[in-house]
Amino acid sequence: MTQQQDRTAALVLEQASVAYGHVPVLEELHGTVRSGEAVALIGPNGAGKSTLIKAVLGLVPTVRGRIEVLGVTPAQARRDVAYVPQADTLDPDFPVSVEQVVMMGRYRKIGWLRRPSAADRAHAAEALERVGLSDRAKNRFGTLSGGQRQRVLLARAIAAQPRLLLLDEPFNGVDAVSQHALLEAIALLKQQGAAVVVSTHDLAIAHLACDEVCLLNRHQFGFGPTDAVLTPERLRATYGGHALELRGDRVIVTQT
Amino acid sequence: MTWLDSTVHRAMIEAALVGVLGGVVGVFVIARRLPFFTMALTHGTFPGIVVAALLGVDLYLGGGVFGLLVVLAVVVFSRARGQDFTAATGIALSGGFALGVVLVSAQDGFSKDLTAYTVGDVLAVSTSDLVITAVVAVVVLVVMAALGKELLLVAFDRNGAAAAGLPTAVLDFALLAIIEVTVVATVPALGAILTVALLVGPAATARLITDRLVLLFPIAAAVGVVCALAGVWVSTQWNIAAGASIALFCGATFGAAFVASVVRGRLRPAAEAPVAVAVQEEARV
Repeated sequence: MTQQQDRTAALVLEQASVAYGHVPVLEELHGTVRSGEAVALIGPNGAGKSTLIKAVLGLVPTVRGRIEVLGVTPAQARRDVAYVPQADTLDPDFPVSVEQVVMMGRYRKIGWLRRPSAADRAHAAEALERVGLSDRAKNRFGTLSGGQRQRVLLARAIAAQPRLLLLDEPFNGVDAVSQHALLEAIALLKQQGAAVVVSTHDLAIAHLACDEVCLLNRHQFGFGPTDAVLTPERLRATYGGHALELRGDRVIVTQT
Repeated sequence: MTWLDSTVHRAMIEAALVGVLGGVVGVFVIARRLPFFTMALTHGTFPGIVVAALLGVDLYLGGGVFGLLVVLAVVVFSRARGQDFTAATGIALSGGFALGVVLVSAQDGFSKDLTAYTVGDVLAVSTSDLVITAVVAVVVLVVMAALGKELLLVAFDRNGAAAAGLPTAVLDFALLAIIEVTVVATVPALGAILTVALLVGPAATARLITDRLVLLFPIAAAVGVVCALAGVWVSTQWNIAAGASIALFCGATFGAAFVASVVRGRLRPAAEAPVAVAVQEEARV
């Protein structure tokens, strides 16, 4: 824990409540994610995981409390924050190549009216290498498998050189090879000092990839070290009637 | 007597210009699934044409200004919670056209102007029409080149663009305004009803030929120019409507490319492009 306290806070939630218009989606969130740490957002569908990610991006307003990203407001921090959407939310027919998608991660740094430089191309190529898809650079994005598309989107985020990485359900419907590649790339980003927030349904992955867990269902049902927070009691509280206990110390979630 | 004094020469230049413009802008119309919006715009400009005729100002200036208002209304309305882009477009289409009809029915003596407006007459374009089309073409191509990467990101991944801090509403408006200006510039040649052919056909044909974005623009432009010139040529040879000929060439070229792509087995399986994704994409614009 002493090591963690030395690290700077990348994301601070202080009694934060988030709302779409007048409809509160998340209330009273409290916790800190430090640089080099990963936190898993876990909760059922509609729990507000994506909304929290959008609030950290400054796209959904914080109505009470405070969300601080890299020491500033979410909107001010966007330059150092990268977002990885779910691959299947993107049009597979869109005429764009894998390397073009990865280059999109550099757009913010390239700026308006400019074209990618040799350095931008090098960053993009390196990012694609990190997810193991260099050989697919020229392929159309939509021709890749779901897992590969997810890796391309992670490469796009890596190319942006973020200090905070936000991933929305990156492991949904992803094959084992891609899951492994995603986990490795995320681990390397952590090593390099980036903070990672990943929403997932997969408790095993939360254990594997994340130091901390935030249990969400409109409210926060726990935020802290993975082993301490992922208890059967808390999971039952988070998932309501959709959590079943197995052999005393394990819980299976029947409906996500 | 200059080269431009010939009706056929002017028609060929105009056709080539709108061919390039329609092809290039069409790439984004296809990629963002906006053919319906483009169709709606041609009708949405209608009241502007009528009002311009009433006021005695240039018809296409009237159509252009009114069209921009329609674009603005669609962008604002589709951002309202619980509304979607296609609903806003549908209302703009029917509402705009209805307003035009009401204005016409309250007045006499419109019929002549309106025939040219609805089906176009590329053989009637004046030198000043040509200059306007050329200026529009240059401005649209420069803006598209300048905003190319941002327009691409918003088109491909709207949430990602917003997350990166891009002003998505401004970029939406920019793209829709580009389409609108292109529509208004193309209407004298093809007419309100047939303009959509040039903004959809060549780009859709190019999409059948290549997957690569950098090749889509030149191929779509080339197809647009060839269809437009072929339409004018057929029209002058056999004295048939030029706008309709151009639209038919756009359709025939697409048909030929489609058949060729099926023959070559390049047609992607339907499973790769689920209808739900298509609808979702259109709704998200």
